[in-house]
Amino acid sequence: MAGPVKTRWTRTEAFNGYLMISPTLIYALLMLAAPLVMIVAYSFFKDGYLTVIHEFTTENYVQAWSDPIFRAILLRSVWVSVLVTAVTVGLAFPVAYFISFVLPAQKKSLWLFLITIPFWTSYLIRVFQWKVILSYNGVINSVLTGLGIVDHPLQMLNSVGAIAVTLAHSYAPFAILPIFVSLEKIDRSFLEAGQDLGESRFMTFWRVTLPLAMPGVIGAVMIVFIPTIGDYVTPELIGGGKLPMVANMIQQNMLKIDNKPLGSAIAVSAMLVVAAIALLFLMLNRRFLRGPKG
Amino acid sequence: MIPKTTASAAATRPTMIEFREVQKYYGDYHALRGITATIRAGEFFSLLGPSGCGKTTLLRTIAGFEDISSGAVLIDGKDMSNVPANRRPTNMVFQSYAIFPHLSVAENVGFGLRRDPRSKAEKAKAVEEALEMVGLKGYGPRAAHAMSGGQRQRVALARALILKPKVLLLDEPMSALDKKIREQMQVELMKLQRELGITFVLVTHDQEEALIMSDRIAVMFDGEIAQLADPETLYRHPDSRRVADFIGVMNFLPATVTGESGAGVSLDVAGLGRLDVAPDQVAATRTGGEPAVGFRPETLTLLYEGQPAAAHEAAGIIDEVVYYGDMTYYDVRLDGVDKPVRISMRNVFGRPVLDVGTRTRIGWAPGALVLFR
Repeated sequence: MAGPVKTRWTRTEAFNGYLMISPTLIYALLMLAAPLVMIVAYSFFKDGYLTVIHEFTTENYVQAWSDPIFRAILLRSVWVSVLVTAVTVGLAFPVAYFISFVLPAQKKSLWLFLITIPFWTSYLIRVFQWKVILSYNGVINSVLTGLGIVDHPLQMLNSVGAIAVTLAHSYAPFAILPIFVSLEKIDRSFLEAGQDLGESRFMTFWRVTLPLAMPGVIGAVMIVFIPTIGDYVTPELIGGGKLPMVANMIQQNMLKIDNKPLGSAIAVSAMLVVAAIALLFLMLNRRFLRGPKG
Repeated sequence: MIPKTTASAAATRPTMIEFREVQKYYGDYHALRGITATIRAGEFFSLLGPSGCGKTTLLRTIAGFEDISSGAVLIDGKDMSNVPANRRPTNMVFQSYAIFPHLSVAENVGFGLRRDPRSKAEKAKAVEEALEMVGLKGYGPRAAHAMSGGQRQRVALARALILKPKVLLLDEPMSALDKKIREQMQVELMKLQRELGITFVLVTHDQEEALIMSDRIAVMFDGEIAQLADPETLYRHPDSRRVADFIGVMNFLPATVTGESGAGVSLDVAGLGRLDVAPDQVAATRTGGEPAVGFRPETLTLLYEGQPAAAHEAAGIIDEVVYYGDMTYYDVRLDGVDKPVRISMRNVFGRPVLDVGTRTRIGWAPGALVLFR
């Protein structure tokens, strides 16, 4: 057909790009952005009995932050998440290092596959397994009392330590994989160069391997820290409901007490605290994150 | 060309590196088959060979990155068997340069100075001097990953030389550079080596590069040193057909031995006829194959019409012409020989380049022939 050459918009690359991401985009807008906007909006509404009064107020935030219980629970959530993150990433690094540096190339994918095996069972069941392992009559206590190492079974459940162990196990693959990827990218001649320039294996690790693996470590910290602070199942099952974390408090306000505005204010507050901590962490480590254009 | 150290001066130098019956197995694979050789102090030494010949493995046994299965490597008289890489008096320029991407240029160059007792300011000065030596003055604060290939190589060089090693190891350092920069770096490396007097050991698969830069070259095939000599000896008197073939272009013509005495060997060579060669023209290594004489393209001369007859002449037809600007290569099919021989002629003003199919005469000198058998 003769006439001016005009590419139809539906044929452009941009259109195709949007087309490809549109299912995800629509999903994200409907399921993430919209609820988020709603929560933020609710947090500034007044609570009536069984209803929400659509009037602007900051009272919910005042109420939340002046409540010592909320502050204690938030602090505990942060503390548990920091602990879990430290334990998880601390244990994940040697595993990732072993897979990347020690194993021969043909065995690496098998090991990565083995690491994902815990994901074959549901999160709930994995958490419950830890309850079986750690409980008063559980696996560890049976062995310890059976061997006569302890007289009375140890009280391990309902503690921050038990919550940390359970969460660390759940998030281990999320920490191992990004660290593994960043270790894989390190040119092995860098390690030889480090030794060639007079540094021992350990100092080469400290001065070369670790700084180059930092983007992966930072990624692992983010991936573990952010979801654990909002974890709901583990404190409920392993903590026995006696050590609630911030998610349990939100659930209580939203569903049990039916104070949606206060629950929303707590949720937004927790979100901001997580964001602030995450940004601070990224700021402190920004020198490791400079891109190759520097 | 920059004149190299004279052979006589080099021969009196003390030994810097000594290989004693070095064997290396990777499982069943025999990578180094009993290497015995010495590298002299202050020498520019090259390990030359095709890929997989063991040259890089041998270099890495000097650096300490490769354990040897048996034998010994000595540096400056000391056995290196139990000395780890970080305690050896060697430094290396890696093939990939291995410039740390998370550090600046100055931090890269100063990497090995951590335990140096000098003050911070003195170290910074040393780094600046090292950068100046490799022509990168003022580049210190730049990000290392923003440097070009040639600049990275200079950073790697400065980083190694700042530690004043007894031996500098270079693992195919020029293979990633384009031709112009490579030639420039070759000259700079030679100058640097002469100024510093440090022993350089270069691994390369580029025979031209080895000939240009080295005081001595070890040609390696299949985990063994086939010949160790200075460039001129390697080029003129190759020990074996394989070495001759690997270094430069060598023409081969089948020959029949008709007589042999203390004064030389009498031959009947296809295309050239009956001739005698002196004992020093016979390759040292006997491979047991069909005897053949070899000669370099520049030892033959194409005789133009009207040119006076040479002492030794042969006739043939031009099979192929390759024009290089300053040179022209002619592939000439000599009468009675199937395979053409390559002749190189310098292009002189007023002398035409001949066409394919032209009948021509060539002049040759019996002294330039090497007998392989």
